[in-house]
Amino acid sequence: MTAPALSTQALVAGYERDLPIVRGIDFAINTGELVVVLGPNGAGKSTLVKAISGLVSIHSGTVRLGDRDVTAVPAHEKVRQGLAFVPQTENIFTTLSIHENLLVAANILPKEARSRRIADLYRMFPDLAARPSLKAGQLSGGQRQMLAVARALIVAPSVLILDEPSAGLSPKIATEVFRTLKAINQTGVTILLVEQNVKAALAIAQRGVILVDGKLRHEGPAATLAGDPIVAELYLGAHRPAVSA
Amino acid sequence: MIAQALMDGLIAGAMIGLGAIGITLTYSILRFANFAHGELISWGAYLALALSGGLGYLSSNLTSSIGPFSFGWSLPLAAILAIMLTGVLALVSDALLFGRLRAKGGSVIIMVMASFGAALTLRSLLEFTFTTKPAYYTNALQIAMPLGGGMRATPDQLLALGLSAIMVVAIHLLLTRTAIGRSMRAVSENQQLSGIVGIDVRKVIRTVWLLGAGLACVAGIMAGLLVQIRPHMGHDLLLPLFAAAILGGIGSVPGAMLAGLIVGLSESLAVQFIGAEWRAAVAFVILVAVLLIHPKGLFGRVA
Repeated sequence: MTAPALSTQALVAGYERDLPIVRGIDFAINTGELVVVLGPNGAGKSTLVKAISGLVSIHSGTVRLGDRDVTAVPAHEKVRQGLAFVPQTENIFTTLSIHENLLVAANILPKEARSRRIADLYRMFPDLAARPSLKAGQLSGGQRQMLAVARALIVAPSVLILDEPSAGLSPKIATEVFRTLKAINQTGVTILLVEQNVKAALAIAQRGVILVDGKLRHEGPAATLAGDPIVAELYLGAHRPAVSA
Repeated sequence: MIAQALMDGLIAGAMIGLGAIGITLTYSILRFANFAHGELISWGAYLALALSGGLGYLSSNLTSSIGPFSFGWSLPLAAILAIMLTGVLALVSDALLFGRLRAKGGSVIIMVMASFGAALTLRSLLEFTFTTKPAYYTNALQIAMPLGGGMRATPDQLLALGLSAIMVVAIHLLLTRTAIGRSMRAVSENQQLSGIVGIDVRKVIRTVWLLGAGLACVAGIMAGLLVQIRPHMGHDLLLPLFAAAILGGIGSVPGAMLAGLIVGLSESLAVQFIGAEWRAAVAFVILVAVLLIHPKGLFGRVA
């Protein structure tokens, strides 16, 4: 049996050791899947993906990329092992040009592969190819997200993690972003997506997991979750998490 | 007189500019004002002095003057070794002090105070080893050549100007045309994002220390060649260096050099028109004025 593309076992993580935000999460994504992480504000969704990516301290538990344990691997090494992450904000270098943003990311590829890979990405994102010398800080919100995704794809990752890629975008641009993610997933890239835009995210995902108070509360196929009363309850505010004494 | 003041200002400004490039690079990436940078200038000058003396002792041919210059091959050869050793000194200071504080999440003020401590230690070590007596690379006297327009300069001074120009272009090309340069600019903007795009931030920090220390060493050798070598030479340059780095805009190499020339020229003209005792105040006035009026400086971001 092949190992999942990405999995966590009893993962506990957070910014301070005595204040874990992610509190014992077990989950796995199979190769080629697009899984969306849902949950109310403060559920620990962003902390979970940051911990997996190496940006937040893991207090206990493990993260595995395929059959490799990458729990203690630093962020810059995880990219080399095929795990790419697109943060919600500050996800491009605004003082570098579009082309330089891609070059910086391509630096970990063999020299002979860099130009070819950047050309592939320009074909995939023609808007970026139109003005490669433009400073990234001058791009619109949607173009920035596209550059961030292109930058992450440079290394041809086996797993792509995105933290709320539609945040702050107009509905039209957000739809374009989701369409792009779906297309990327169809090329075989495993995607883990944190999203607040539940309907749009479940429309492109195969499966969803729901976090509440740093714990995995529910999971299921995307089509089922879209009409699941638990999801409605969480997002319409009916849910009241238990308060521990 | 004014023409000569301008020439003197340009020469002093070139030295300030080189040192300021080191300051601006380390400030933009390490995110603190390293007050020990002046000591790297002094150490660079003294290391070149010791190595040049050693090479001259090994082969007297190396001390014969090269063309119109006041020094022999022993100095350029020693300069190459001194640049490397000053880089090693910076890496050691990072490994023993700054890196450890960074790992513990040390705040900016802690880093700045640590740099004061490092500066005092390094300066005292120099005084202990070489004494406070001024030293010189050469005792040869140079005659300033007329350059037209009432300006005169010695071959050593012209060499310093030319070398500064070459180094500014080289560093600018390094930052804009090479992978490590782009990584340095990326780390300067966002260290966390740099990590997740695969940049080894620790390697970039080491490169910045090496580059900054190398430039400090060259600035120190120039100052030693054109003026004299003293343990306090770097410390005395610190205010003009920070004034130039902030006037040029943090992170901007051309800005630091242009601002270095502005500070050098301003100091020289102040000596000419106001009085030599006001020379040191010029850099301070520039520093405060930039911070109050235009903190982004000429080409950079807010200091």
